[in-house]
Amino acid sequence: MTPQLRTAAIFGAMTISMVGVGYASVPLYNMFCRVTGFNGTTGRADEAQAAEVPVYVDKTISVRFDSNVDRDLPWEFRPEHPTDTVSLGARDMAIFIAKNNGSEPITGTASFNVTPVTAGRYFKKIQCFCFTEQTIAAGEQVRMPVLYFVDPKLLDDPDTRDIEEITLSYTFHRTKNGDTEG
Amino acid sequence: MTTITADNAPAGHEHLQEYDHGADHKPSFFARWFMSTNHKDIGTLYLIFAIFAGVVGGAISGLMRIELNQPGIQHLVLWSQFLGEEGSLTQAKHLWNVLVTAHGLIMVFFMVMPAMIGGFGNWFVPIMIGAPDMAFPRMNNVSFWLLVPAFILLLGSTFVPGGLGNGAGTGWTVYAPLSTAGSAGPAVDMAILALHLAGASSILGAINFITTIFNMRAPGMTINKMPLFVWSVLVTAFLLLLALPVLAAAITMLLTDRNFGTTFFDAAGGGDPILYQHLFWFFGHPEVYIMILPGFGMVSQIISTFSKKPIFGYLGMAYAMVAIGVVGFVVWAHHMFTTGLSVNLKMYFTAATMVIAVPTGIKIFSWIATMWGGSLTFKTPMMWAIGFIFMFTVGGVTGVVLANGGVDTYMQDTYYVVAHFHYVLSLGAVFSLFAGFYYWFPKMSGKMYNEFLGQLHFWVFFIGVNVLFFPMHFLGQQGMPRRYPDYADAYAHWNQIASTWGYSIMLAGMLIFFVNLIWSLAAGRKAAANPWGEGATTLEWTLSSPPPFHQFEQLPKIA
Amino acid sequence: MPATAALGAVTAPLPAAAGGAPETTVSPAATASDAAQANAPGADAAPGYANDPFRLKPVDGVGQPTPGGIDFQPQVTDNGAYAYWMSNSILLPLITVISLLVLGLLLWVMFRYRAAANPVPSKTSHNTFIEILWTLIPVFILLAIAYPSLSLLAAQYKPAPKDAVTIKVTGYQWYWGYEYPDNGIPEIISKMLPPEEAAKMGEPRQLAVDNRMVVPVGKTVKLLITGSDVIHSFAVPALWTKLDAVPGRLNETTFKINKPGVYYGQCSELCGVDHGFMPIAVEALPQAQFDAWVARQGGHRAGAKDLAKPDVPAETAPSGEAAATAVGDDHANNSGERAAPATAQ
Repeated sequence: MTPQLRTAAIFGAMTISMVGVGYASVPLYNMFCRVTGFNGTTGRADEAQAAEVPVYVDKTISVRFDSNVDRDLPWEFRPEHPTDTVSLGARDMAIFIAKNNGSEPITGTASFNVTPVTAGRYFKKIQCFCFTEQTIAAGEQVRMPVLYFVDPKLLDDPDTRDIEEITLSYTFHRTKNGDTEG
Repeated sequence: MTTITADNAPAGHEHLQEYDHGADHKPSFFARWFMSTNHKDIGTLYLIFAIFAGVVGGAISGLMRIELNQPGIQHLVLWSQFLGEEGSLTQAKHLWNVLVTAHGLIMVFFMVMPAMIGGFGNWFVPIMIGAPDMAFPRMNNVSFWLLVPAFILLLGSTFVPGGLGNGAGTGWTVYAPLSTAGSAGPAVDMAILALHLAGASSILGAINFITTIFNMRAPGMTINKMPLFVWSVLVTAFLLLLALPVLAAAITMLLTDRNFGTTFFDAAGGGDPILYQHLFWFFGHPEVYIMILPGFGMVSQIISTFSKKPIFGYLGMAYAMVAIGVVGFVVWAHHMFTTGLSVNLKMYFTAATMVIAVPTGIKIFSWIATMWGGSLTFKTPMMWAIGFIFMFTVGGVTGVVLANGGVDTYMQDTYYVVAHFHYVLSLGAVFSLFAGFYYWFPKMSGKMYNEFLGQLHFWVFFIGVNVLFFPMHFLGQQGMPRRYPDYADAYAHWNQIASTWGYSIMLAGMLIFFVNLIWSLAAGRKAAANPWGEGATTLEWTLSSPPPFHQFEQLPKIA
Repeated sequence: MPATAALGAVTAPLPAAAGGAPETTVSPAATASDAAQANAPGADAAPGYANDPFRLKPVDGVGQPTPGGIDFQPQVTDNGAYAYWMSNSILLPLITVISLLVLGLLLWVMFRYRAAANPVPSKTSHNTFIEILWTLIPVFILLAIAYPSLSLLAAQYKPAPKDAVTIKVTGYQWYWGYEYPDNGIPEIISKMLPPEEAAKMGEPRQLAVDNRMVVPVGKTVKLLITGSDVIHSFAVPALWTKLDAVPGRLNETTFKINKPGVYYGQCSELCGVDHGFMPIAVEALPQAQFDAWVARQGGHRAGAKDLAKPDVPAETAPSGEAAATAVGDDHANNSGERAAPATAQ
């Protein structure tokens, strides 16, 4: 191999690995968002973790619920109550109500984030309808719960301790590639 | 600076004839221009291509300025009919987006990049390092010929559906979901494929340049003796290699999102349209340095030549370019300040972006210091180079304003941004292209350009682009958004000045350029090997003008 | 909605309550004549906005561009004023001085070292001291502007207070929707007025809309912004506000307007053919007039309904299994509804 070919091979490999970096960025970005709460991505916690979180009964925060439906999905989707006040660390359940106004069963998936985006890492969901696809029969109305708590560590972070209201937003989309049987 | 003893360098004019006799056997016309493996011929092809693309892109900007001359939509309907549509108002408005998109893509991928890297890079990098040709001459030819179908695809996309009208109307950034769910029809696919081809062309070219510069320097031409233009192309090639594959990946994902049901950038399937912007700008910010760094290199050569002085702070200049290239990879999200970034990210990207002002300042001051104490002559290339320094400074300082995330909230996507990037590109990169063109025209063609027309071209163009682009700062500060075919009546005044006066004067300047080009090629005085005198110390001036078809059959030695 | 009915619902007198800003108060004469025109024979299908006697008139040079203007639009928020000061009192002088310094140096060098004046060039190519100097001085300048720059960002990102007026903004191809969830006002669709309508209303072409986003003065407004189809960007120059409306995610920004008035903005992210034709108009009213507006929309004061609603105390929130049961009970109680399974991990 001539020196020229060797150099070209090295930099050709570098080019290909950068293409790889481009594709790898998709899962890496998702992971990064989940781990750091980047872009207002909410965290997840299981029952055991949630049980260990101290409850600050006298420190409350307002949580607002926001709902959106993609334009090609004939659903109604709204929170039962637009806001709620919760103690930091305490588990709370919010109900969202979805109704399929279409003439056939449709499977939807919800994308979600919280604002202010810095609150994402402290907003923990224990259960959520958004973790899986949801299929709703034609004309059916469904109540969808989300069980969550706001981590009191929010108070220790200078970026989040002044937050008085966190908005949890969902957007329902027609599931891509999803069969309507769910 | 370096002392050169090149055995095959002409000592004077009388030697040229004998020398040419041996090395100047050229292939037939078809083989020479269509199957070329000669870096100088390929460089010429690139330059011709870039001039052609520049005329197309410049004509599109002319159409846009005509439409923006007055409030209201006056001409778009007619133009859309001219392109074979019914000419509904919707199609007319779509045509506007197509023009905006095409102007951006053509100027970036088919004018500036081919001219700087393909044209001047091909012509002068091998000569400046004392190499007989590029490392991979055939790959070099492939690089060029990939551009032609790319350009045809992009132009062809104008005639096929791309949403509510013909053509790709997504902006040069091709943001999802406008470019995916928002633009049905093959036009956007064609535009994306055009980008793929142009990107592949640039990547092959970049590998070629890196290999050439690393392996084919003449004896004694160490890295730290390379002319700054070679340094600039080397840094640019690295930026291309690191940035373009990411763009390729991103736009491939766009293609599969469009056609094969993937959801990389579609929230419906767990994707995120913001991720596309991150990937695009991870490419897009280095891209702006790709478009300006070779210009830095050319301006350095020219300032040194016409000051009759070696460049001031050579190492600082070289490493400043490396620093700009490195920092250029960690500032991308300043293009995304309004997408909903967290405050910490905005603070980081604000600070990181402002850091770039430091190496850029080093370059500006080093050029002035190069001129300081020199013996300056103001030939046309020098005028363009000095014009570049000032105009690039003006474009650079508005970049410092935009770097402030909190201030950019107002400026983002207004004409202030348009003014900023035209100052660094249309007045920065293009000035350096003209500087390089006049500087090397005698070397490339063997003919002298007309000095009077060259100076006239400079002054007319200089006035024209300033009248054209400076008022855009005002429009931006008044809040006028980008990519609007129609605007509130209060914006009419400065738009009219930019269109009626600015564009016309600039156009007159370009006509002078073409007159000069044609006149000089046809009837220009024969150029000496070194028309610029003692200040021109790089290797290309040791060769005849034009250089022999094959140069440096015996490698020059650099002491 | 009929103007007479609306008048009855107004709790604060108009226009005297406009808060010491005479240029922005409603001009009853003008609006009355507009309404009269709209009600003239042949125009009986006039849209609601044309009959609205409370609709604020825009003022030249405020909340909209000025013909031939070169400066930023006048700012009516504290953060906007800070950013304006940052731009015009710090950055603009700084970049002007730098540009003039470079221009001056270039002209001086061109004059002093022209070949005729200096036939023999020096060979100086290094001066470590000056190279360090022109590296460090820019560093210090940047450090100096970093402080106000970063504190501006911090101010812009100050979280909204709990009692902020919350408006949900949705960007559509090609119009805007404004919903007031706390006031019980469903989404108001806001579209650009055609040029002749804008002229009739005495509003600027390309900026005027039928239904404006109405907000109170002196109170923090929190915008929750999302996009319905492609990315749009909600931008109002006079409020120094711009934030993208991204489909599938929510963004949040706040502002507090000091002065009643009409402030126009335009979509600022390329969103398709009518990108240039989906303007924004924010009408800032004194609190009393804002409340009256809310009432006319059939809404209520924020929190009025919330107090009435039975709330699950946070402390008694059920655990996972209990939640499912609770939902199941709900299901039993509400025929036609079922509970979706919430998935625990």
